Amino acid sequence: MNDATEVLADQVRAAAEDRRALRIVGGDTKSWYGRAPVGKPLNVSRHTGIIDYDPSELVLTARAGTPVLEIEAALAENNQKLGFEPPIFGPASTVGGVIAAGLAGPSRPFAGAVRDHVLGARILNGRGQSLRFGGTVFKNVAGFDAFRLMCGAMGTLGVILDVSIRVMPRPEESISLVFNEDWQASQPRLTRLLGRPLPIDGAFHDGTRLHVRLSGPRAGVLTAAEELGGEHEDPTIWDQLRHMTLPNLRAPGLWRLSIPRTAKLGDIPGEQLIDWAGGQRWLSTTASPSQVTEIAAAVGGHASIFHRSDDDQDVFTRLPKTLFELHKRLKAVFDPAGILNPGRLYQGL
Amino acid sequence: MLDQFDSRIDPTFAPVDRQRLIARLQEALPERGLITKTEGMRVYETDGLAAYRGMPSVVALPETTAQVSAVLRICAEMSTPVVARGAGTGLSGGALPFPGCVLLSMTRFNRILAIDAQARMARVQPGVRNLAISEAVAQFGLFYAPDPSSQIACSIGGNVAENAGGVHCLKYGLTVHNIQRLELVTVDGEVLEIGGDALDTPGYDLLALITGSEGLLGVITEVTVRLLPNPVHTQVLLAAFPDVRQAGDAVARIIAAGIIPAGLEMMDRLAVNAAENHVHAGYPVDVAAILLCEIDGAAGDVEDGLSRVGAICLEAGASEVRQARDEAERRRFWAGRKGAFPAMGRMAPDYYCIDGTIPRRRLAEVLTEITRLSGVYGLPVANVFHAGDGNLHPLILYDAAASGEVENAEALGGAILELCVAMGGTITGEHGVGREKINQMCVQFSTAEIETFEALKASFDPAGLLNPGKAIPTLARCAEYGAMHVHNGQLPFADLERL
Amino acid sequence: MRAYIRGPLAETAAGAIAADVLKACVHCGFCNATCPTFQITGDELDGPRGRIYLIKQALEGEPVSRLTQHHLDRCLSCRACETTCPSGVEYHRLLDVGRAEIATRVARPWHERLARRTIRFLTGHRQLLRALLILGRKIPAAQPKRAAKPIAAALSRKMSLLTGCVQSAAAPHFNASTTRVFAAAGIGLTETPAARCCGAVAFHLDAADEARAHVRRNIDAWIAELDAGSEAIVVNASGCATFIRDYPDVLADDPEYASKAHRVARAVRDPVEVLRESPPIAASAPANPRIAVHDPCTLRNGPGLEGAVARLLSGLGYEPQPISDTHLCCGSAGSYSLLQPTLSHRLRADKLEVLTANAPAAIYTANIGCWMHLGETSSTPVRHWIEAVDAVLGAIQETQTRETP
Repeated sequence: MNDATEVLADQVRAAAEDRRALRIVGGDTKSWYGRAPVGKPLNVSRHTGIIDYDPSELVLTARAGTPVLEIEAALAENNQKLGFEPPIFGPASTVGGVIAAGLAGPSRPFAGAVRDHVLGARILNGRGQSLRFGGTVFKNVAGFDAFRLMCGAMGTLGVILDVSIRVMPRPEESISLVFNEDWQASQPRLTRLLGRPLPIDGAFHDGTRLHVRLSGPRAGVLTAAEELGGEHEDPTIWDQLRHMTLPNLRAPGLWRLSIPRTAKLGDIPGEQLIDWAGGQRWLSTTASPSQVTEIAAAVGGHASIFHRSDDDQDVFTRLPKTLFELHKRLKAVFDPAGILNPGRLYQGL
Repeated sequence: MLDQFDSRIDPTFAPVDRQRLIARLQEALPERGLITKTEGMRVYETDGLAAYRGMPSVVALPETTAQVSAVLRICAEMSTPVVARGAGTGLSGGALPFPGCVLLSMTRFNRILAIDAQARMARVQPGVRNLAISEAVAQFGLFYAPDPSSQIACSIGGNVAENAGGVHCLKYGLTVHNIQRLELVTVDGEVLEIGGDALDTPGYDLLALITGSEGLLGVITEVTVRLLPNPVHTQVLLAAFPDVRQAGDAVARIIAAGIIPAGLEMMDRLAVNAAENHVHAGYPVDVAAILLCEIDGAAGDVEDGLSRVGAICLEAGASEVRQARDEAERRRFWAGRKGAFPAMGRMAPDYYCIDGTIPRRRLAEVLTEITRLSGVYGLPVANVFHAGDGNLHPLILYDAAASGEVENAEALGGAILELCVAMGGTITGEHGVGREKINQMCVQFSTAEIETFEALKASFDPAGLLNPGKAIPTLARCAEYGAMHVHNGQLPFADLERL
Repeated sequence: MRAYIRGPLAETAAGAIAADVLKACVHCGFCNATCPTFQITGDELDGPRGRIYLIKQALEGEPVSRLTQHHLDRCLSCRACETTCPSGVEYHRLLDVGRAEIATRVARPWHERLARRTIRFLTGHRQLLRALLILGRKIPAAQPKRAAKPIAAALSRKMSLLTGCVQSAAAPHFNASTTRVFAAAGIGLTETPAARCCGAVAFHLDAADEARAHVRRNIDAWIAELDAGSEAIVVNASGCATFIRDYPDVLADDPEYASKAHRVARAVRDPVEVLRESPPIAASAPANPRIAVHDPCTLRNGPGLEGAVARLLSGLGYEPQPISDTHLCCGSAGSYSLLQPTLSHRLRADKLEVLTANAPAAIYTANIGCWMHLGETSSTPVRHWIEAVDAVLGAIQETQTRETP
């Protein structure tokens, strides 16, 4: 437990005065994600501790530098969990980093995005002011939801100090099923299943087999498992998927495509792991960046280089001009001097 | 009264040449798309918060996105404020016309444009009623989850603007969790696509920022909503308690037991009686409070869940626990709850609905304090609320005709909201700040935070034309409210433990 | 909402009714959701909440013009709004007071006055009306088959039957069928020559005093019948029945008639209310059982008899098809179809689409207005539901019948 607010605020204020770029660092486990970090490190990892956690409130508030594993352990003791299943890329990974990266795991289409689970946050803006947005209650519509903007903003809008997260009870029962079929057969099967009230909270295709996870109250899960058929498998495969330890998922050059679940993605060379019931594609390919970007855009989605190689400049799909201008204005609201993680999301932001 | 805008502490605009404004708008709008007579505009002077009234300069009724763009462009050029209005059911005065504004009524955008049952999405115009979406997709076994009590009449555009909730939020989330894509027209008439058909979009999460922005950032002209499959089995349990505190205690215990009900609602004696008189829901009337707990899912799980909930309620002191005998009774139980606000029309000439949220564990404490405040201000308060989310709806009963009662009701409402903030909660759970809670924003947020909100607004709407005087107070207002509010350096509720 | 009613109206019973209704309204807007005209125009002025506000303004002494009158004219008086109002606002009672008040303060242009006067005149002249309806192709030229009418005197129970103004000109066979069906149930029906027209047409066309004269005459005639042992006043046009139920409001400021008006209003029965007590038994199966039942607004929203006709006909072997959006008016609404053709025709087209979605052999309704209005453009035959009952009951004994005049 350590409150480093003042130390961090001083550093930000000093940097703002000198217009010096700051590179916000938590556990430093995701420096390969997004555009290359620049600037002097601002170390948040010593701003730690769970500030408040009452299981009957389903809310946990922690300082940004708290290791996310520590949070998960505290939750597990009370039979609760983080509903958005963030990937964790090392034991040092902090909750602030998890929120700033905004990455959600296999449960994303069923349980929601990172921002859907965040109830509020305290941040330092680029002037070193401490600001609190949102709160610790689920229903709260006072003020703009600036805290949700922090999710996935890669630290470009503020230094997250503490965050309140809505947590979920662990499911009473969880079963993993596997079907030996190609994606052409799996996609219509999933469309059919997802049109029904089944306790599905994960569905991915590894290239040769479809994996479906059922979680929830016992009776519903058991009934659904019986009806769905397939073979039971070791559910730890979902942890490997979540933390991206399955083969190929940690290789530099990996693409992430986010597309409508029911879309038919055009042909592209390489290997795909299809998660989110079709909505998220992990792609290792020899195709050019523009080919990948176009094929995703053609079905109403977008592509990003998930694991940056040394020579990658842009990693996220470019925004239309009006939207990018709006992004720049939003950045200026929080960080007028442009010192917080500059360029981490887009050049010029 | 807060419907009076104060040029010293609210935004102001230079007077506009009304004839020129009318002439230009007439060119941009179809026949019967513009109301200019006072007699015709009067019905637009207020929304679901009927105590607040203001007159627009004109009322515009566009039918297409292009017309919305054109109207906004004209307003931007002529520096005329614009207030967007959906079904006019909001309870915070969000659609209250700013004096002399162009009131932009979106009710003619009432078409469902596309239903994609396979992708579980529907693309709708903003004037489509919330309930109409669920009715239209019922044939596919799907529904749209957020269900505010006004769902029969409120429109989806307004739901997005307010980030509306409902009785099933605990399990299914608020509007922000159930929408996918928006078409937004900015104040200079530009049409933006926010979000998309994929689960995320590159860049900042603007969809989340726009949701709940109360018409301050742009005008929504299209919404893509997510749909869910109807649950196999739904059952509701009613528990009656001789003491409100026991009911509050039961709520905390249910959640702590790891049960996530689809809905968990509480009504106190006054509310139960009003609803029962109107709907004949079959509520027991001689009780201090009732809890309605709905669980959905597989039949076995519902049964198991409800028997656990029933046991918890009895343990907490419930005098009666019973399940709805059939679907008709289940619907009646909910009809009573959903009709509880307007049913207050039978108890008093006017009611004022408050909307704070508190941490669930402070429920009993807050209810006790509300009872005390009710006595201090001399106005009865009925409590109806989403207990599962800690979202309170105290209903202050008053008579606008009685001298000073409106102001008294407003003051009592403000005191209750500030109590919610002191308890670690918030001044609005789902109704929005609107005009009504503009002063309490100064209590909940610091100067730097309010400055950030103002800057966020300015990044979309530099001249501040969209819904001025709502949702975000000026610093001048906060300075004045703070000065008015803190007497002798004492904070309200000094005797309560603060968070 | 609190209203401060000003002027002479404030002292009257009508003013008190208006104040009470306004007080119950909390301005929630739920009513707009089921209002047919609001669905079409999307203008608050064309929904019940807006109309309530318009009336409130007028009664509070604000200036009123044709604008208010125009939007009140566009109300169908279908009362769908009352079914969704959680505060129990009796909208139609306020509307009646408001319309009458505004009629005294706003002058209509000559063509509207003429149209209203002509309609009122025609409803009082049966033969002329019939000829014009046929000429205007509003009803078929062929005389309806002369139905045998049973002799009322031979039956043990007695009730009165409203003749009706438009109905007696356009569809006299409704009453013939009703009389036969009731005879089969052992109830003798007699029509009262002194009580022909219920008075609704005049009342809704700016001639409240003319209507009141009608109403007093009817009350006198029916009170005499009720005193003579008639059990009830059967009205097979649900629109007329609704207006008769409102007689106490119509004569609210007439102390001499107040209690008599209540007695008459309480005695009104739709045929379905009587027949469902001991449902008729079919002698034969329906020739074309697949039907659509259109519950008029005046049957479902006022007396709350939605589905009663369909249930009765189901018991006789008919197969009423499911209908969507039953709360939306067909656009007939008395003289509305003549005075507001645009909205009325749009509502009719929508209604016929849902009524014929499952290809019924016929559409059955319960009100003369809906019958004429739907029948005008429907390719599926439109009938009164009592005809469907009549068709399966079989022949009535010769000795009990005579030809209608």
